[in-house]
Amino acid sequence: MEIFLYILFGFISGVIGGMGMGGGTLLTPLLSFTRLPQRAVQAVNLVSFLPMCATALIFHARHGLVEKAHILWIVLPAVAFAAVGAWVAVGASDGVLRCIYALFLLGVGMWQLVRVLSADSEKKEAVRPR
Amino acid sequence: MRLTAKDKWILTIFSAAAGFVNGFLGGGGGVIVVALLLAVMKLHQKSAQATALLAVLPLSAVSAAVYIVKGSVQWAPALWTTLGVVAGGILGALLLDKLKGNVVKLIYALVLIAGGIKMLL
Repeated sequence: MEIFLYILFGFISGVIGGMGMGGGTLLTPLLSFTRLPQRAVQAVNLVSFLPMCATALIFHARHGLVEKAHILWIVLPAVAFAAVGAWVAVGASDGVLRCIYALFLLGVGMWQLVRVLSADSEKKEAVRPR
Repeated sequence: MRLTAKDKWILTIFSAAAGFVNGFLGGGGGVIVVALLLAVMKLHQKSAQATALLAVLPLSAVSAAVYIVKGSVQWAPALWTTLGVVAGGILGALLLDKLKGNVVKLIYALVLIAGGIKMLL
């Protein structure tokens, strides 16, 4: 049963991740329904994300959706601080990680919700007859 | 496009934040990177989402390496999850070019909020 859940949760977040919408963000709360402790969940999330990301990138590059200009301005600082973040995380308690992740999810979820709803209302505004 | 000095500062600071979040929480940096690509580099939504993967791949690799070295990875769950993620990832990549997006985004937002509440309880 547990194996089925890993595959199912992986698949759902893979679909979202393949669309570049943050599948990793989704996989963590889904995996919290399994028996894995928080730090192991985060580690599984990272490890499983790598091959998916590489595969999805090939598809997107073929469709001309990947913009490489200036990308190093993002990659270099991000990589440096990713190592710092991971280093801090492996020393933190599961409870702290879980709580911070939950707050992060709520923040991102609310932000996404506001964006979707405001885009919807802008669309309605645009088609309204004058 | 040309980046101004201010753009470069914004990219550097927020990318560092995205990297830290991704390493500390094991994910989530992509959301910040997408926002940066939309706001600073003025990419279209689909292009921003695709390009974010290019930025997030190396920082996830570095974060994963730290978790692996520190022995935090449980390999059997990682293997099964990866299987699902790769299959879903291929489908998601194919769908990005076809979906309108707003319904998916709405469901995604609600799932994130529900997940956050569940994790707090």
